[in-house]
Amino acid sequence: MVLAVKAEGVKIGYIDEEDRVQWAVRGVDLEIGSGDSFCIVGESGSGKTTLANAIAGILPPHAIIQGRLIIDGKLVLDNGRLDFNGVRGRIVSYIPQNPGTSLNPFMTVEEHFYYILRDTKSLSRREARRIALESLMKVGLDQSVLEMYPHELSGGMQQRVTIAIAIASRPKIIIADEPTSSVDANLRAGILKLLNRLNRELGLTLIMVTHDIYSAAAVCNKVAVMLVGKIVEMGEVKALLYDPRHPYTRILLNCVPVLGVKKPLKPLVGEPPRLYSDIKHCPFLDRCPFAVETCKVEPLLEPVDEKRDHVVRCWRFKELKSVEL
Amino acid sequence: MPISLNYLLKRILLSFLVVLGVIVFSYTLLILTPGDPAVKWAGNPRGPGAVLAIELARRELGLDQPLHVQIAKFIYNVFTGNIGLSIAYKVPVTQVVASAFTSTLELLIVTYLFGVPVGVVLGTYSALRRGGRADSIIQTLAVVLASTPTFWLALIIMIILQAVFGVVPYGRIDGRLAIATNFKPITGFYLLDSLVQGNYAVFMDVFVRVIPPALAISVYPIGVLTRVTRTLVAEALLEDNVRAAVAWGVKRSTILRRYVLRSIIPPIVQISGLSFTYSLVDAMVVESMVFGREGLGSVLLDSLHKADFRVSLALIIYLTIFYIVVNTLVDILQATIDPRVRL
Amino acid sequence: MEPSRLGKHVLLRASKKLRFKIGLVIVVVMVAMAILAPYIAPYPDEGLGRVPLDGEGRRLLPPSPQHLLGTDTLGRDLLSRIMFAARAALMQSTIVIALSLVIGLVVGSFAAYFKGFVESVLTYLTELFMAVPSLVIALFIRLATNTPGYHVVIVSLTLTWWAWYARISYVYAKGIVELDYVVLAKLAGLHPLKIVGRHILRVIFQPMAVQAISDLGSALLEASAINFMGLGLPRDYPDWGVILFEGLRELSVIAFIRAPWLVVFPGLFILITTLGFALLADPLREELDPRLSRRWRLWF
Repeated sequence: MVLAVKAEGVKIGYIDEEDRVQWAVRGVDLEIGSGDSFCIVGESGSGKTTLANAIAGILPPHAIIQGRLIIDGKLVLDNGRLDFNGVRGRIVSYIPQNPGTSLNPFMTVEEHFYYILRDTKSLSRREARRIALESLMKVGLDQSVLEMYPHELSGGMQQRVTIAIAIASRPKIIIADEPTSSVDANLRAGILKLLNRLNRELGLTLIMVTHDIYSAAAVCNKVAVMLVGKIVEMGEVKALLYDPRHPYTRILLNCVPVLGVKKPLKPLVGEPPRLYSDIKHCPFLDRCPFAVETCKVEPLLEPVDEKRDHVVRCWRFKELKSVEL
Repeated sequence: MPISLNYLLKRILLSFLVVLGVIVFSYTLLILTPGDPAVKWAGNPRGPGAVLAIELARRELGLDQPLHVQIAKFIYNVFTGNIGLSIAYKVPVTQVVASAFTSTLELLIVTYLFGVPVGVVLGTYSALRRGGRADSIIQTLAVVLASTPTFWLALIIMIILQAVFGVVPYGRIDGRLAIATNFKPITGFYLLDSLVQGNYAVFMDVFVRVIPPALAISVYPIGVLTRVTRTLVAEALLEDNVRAAVAWGVKRSTILRRYVLRSIIPPIVQISGLSFTYSLVDAMVVESMVFGREGLGSVLLDSLHKADFRVSLALIIYLTIFYIVVNTLVDILQATIDPRVRL
Repeated sequence: MEPSRLGKHVLLRASKKLRFKIGLVIVVVMVAMAILAPYIAPYPDEGLGRVPLDGEGRRLLPPSPQHLLGTDTLGRDLLSRIMFAARAALMQSTIVIALSLVIGLVVGSFAAYFKGFVESVLTYLTELFMAVPSLVIALFIRLATNTPGYHVVIVSLTLTWWAWYARISYVYAKGIVELDYVVLAKLAGLHPLKIVGRHILRVIFQPMAVQAISDLGSALLEASAINFMGLGLPRDYPDWGVILFEGLRELSVIAFIRAPWLVVFPGLFILITTLGFALLADPLREELDPRLSRRWRLWF
């Protein structure tokens, strides 16, 4: 089975105004299988968007990259050298977080499709229009949308258009960057259902970035929880929901109100740190209610059981199984 | 039609009010400054006909009548185009200014047809190589150009032309050539007229003479646009829609053309329009003093030397109207090219 | 609404840049030249415009050891005239910009603050005076007052320039006036002038000041143009524009350009001075608006 995405020791940082490097992603290894729907969950500052941008091929050139990233068998990132030729749009596509600003205000919806399909697949105007109609239908929009300009569409429609654009070039992998954060609550479920459908019906590998672990649960079959640039827990969705082993995951699950479920809301105290250099201790040290002395050394990613598909980065994951938060 | 009737009406009303304001203001200056307004209005006449001329002027201005009547009379006269006869030319003042307008306007249009693309190209080139050496050189050049006094540059151009080619481009057109080839001005824009009549000799003549002044005046729009375009392009490249387009596989050339350049057109149009009105003054100075061309600049100089007050008033009014018209056109242009703008 | 950076920091960071230093040097040199002209000019009387007794014989001499920049149409030493002209240049620009800045700031902030009728009237006046070009106002004033002089330049330029500042202040102030803390101050009964002064002016002062510095150069260009046309300062007066004007008046264009030193040097000084102000203002402007400082490379 060819892996859709394979990351080996990926570290991504940015140079700031004073020429120091701020690491957003501090060492990530993961494998995403073809056809998976994979969620990357984390708070702002966790590095999830940076990682997603790396896979989508839109890291800013002032980013510093280490490690290797292989997409659909092609080595796209190799310790600072980028090679996304033929990848963007064709193998990997992207659903932006802000559909309103991500569409060109001077082009109609149809023109968007045309230029993308012309550049990625050398299609003619007519062929592009046909594909545009197909894609729009799949997301539940009809052809009247084609002649409109982005500002004439509602927020929900704009998001659907960006999804339609993303699938139009028939990519194998789609990265959805917080697809529901700029959409009204009542439309959120619709978008999530749509993404789910695309993953199942078209066989697309879906990689969704979100801060909301329950959205992740609704859509994905595998989840990775990121914290301060590293993955702290990763595995199948059911495993994480019912048997979370990392304190952070558990807190995440506990601090989101769920309609119909009465449970005490336990907020997470504190803010994510700004990174200047690599930190040697557990990323959760200052906010973890279970921190002990050994946590001053960063734990490794360990499997929870012999199946090896649920891993966690905590010294105390065995004891925490039964502890009530 | 992206322009509503409402907008047009508002604009016309605004122009009306502004011109009204200018007229009132001019009249105030005429009355309040030291000296007899009638004398000034008559153009400081000397000699035998002087007393009569002054008396006529007094009658015309209605200086013996109460102030509000004066102003009303003045406004009425001006609005009906009756500023009287030019002291210098003895033809209606409005006619003098109108015919000179086309000459200066032609010069300005040629200047901007050249200057705007050059500025935009330089600015884009600069932005794409941001931080590099080409960028610094171009930007420095732009600052120097924007700081150059155009009338001085015009003189320098003259010096160079004289030294290198032995020619001094003086005047707008070779009168004898025009007569010899039966040239007839139709619109007042000689470049257009000569082409329409198939008169290539005159066209070349006028064209060659318009290049040196246009070159001099163009440094201002080039200087401004180079810097502005660079900022606009650099910012446009950081926008979300460019990022999304890159992720979707759009090629670099397409992004530059359809995303970046397209998005900077509205502000470029705006700024070019503003510069255009500013360059009018430049053009007037350069064409009259340095190149001896006919046009608003010469009219201004004649008005100065013959103390032709009426012409100076007409100049103010016409140029104000020009400013408003250009701004309105720019707005309308914005509405046509930017689908988000609805007037 | 961009938060304004602390004035000192801005100045400090900007002052490190090469452009700033060059601009500063130029401006300082020009100011020094203006102040010290009577003492360092080789022919101070001629600098002030007086024609020397042996003027006839010294007309239009090219640059030489006795006259480093040559002589003009009446035999006066060009270098001295140019040195004295720095005074007129700086005086005209400073007075025009200072007056326009004050008037513009007041009008703009009042219009934004008081709204309603006051706002309409003030914006109308702003539109009005923006529409009139300075050159024709200068002509009008010249004819109306029947004499050349500083007033022509200063009044015409101020009349057209204040509206520009008024509009900028108005736009800025409008953004500030809606902010919560200003509304609160109003409700608390703080005197309107205090609100305007403390909140509005302090915020907009910085970007306006930077604009004003660069405008000192632009004002010089326009003032020189007015003098070059013969509308402003009179003949023989030490002013760069006037020197060029005289050249064209005394000689035909063709003869004038045969004396290139007379053309090149006065204009060169106008250029350099304007450039100095522009170079000074640019880094300051960049420091105030840091959006483009990072991420300096492109997507491709």
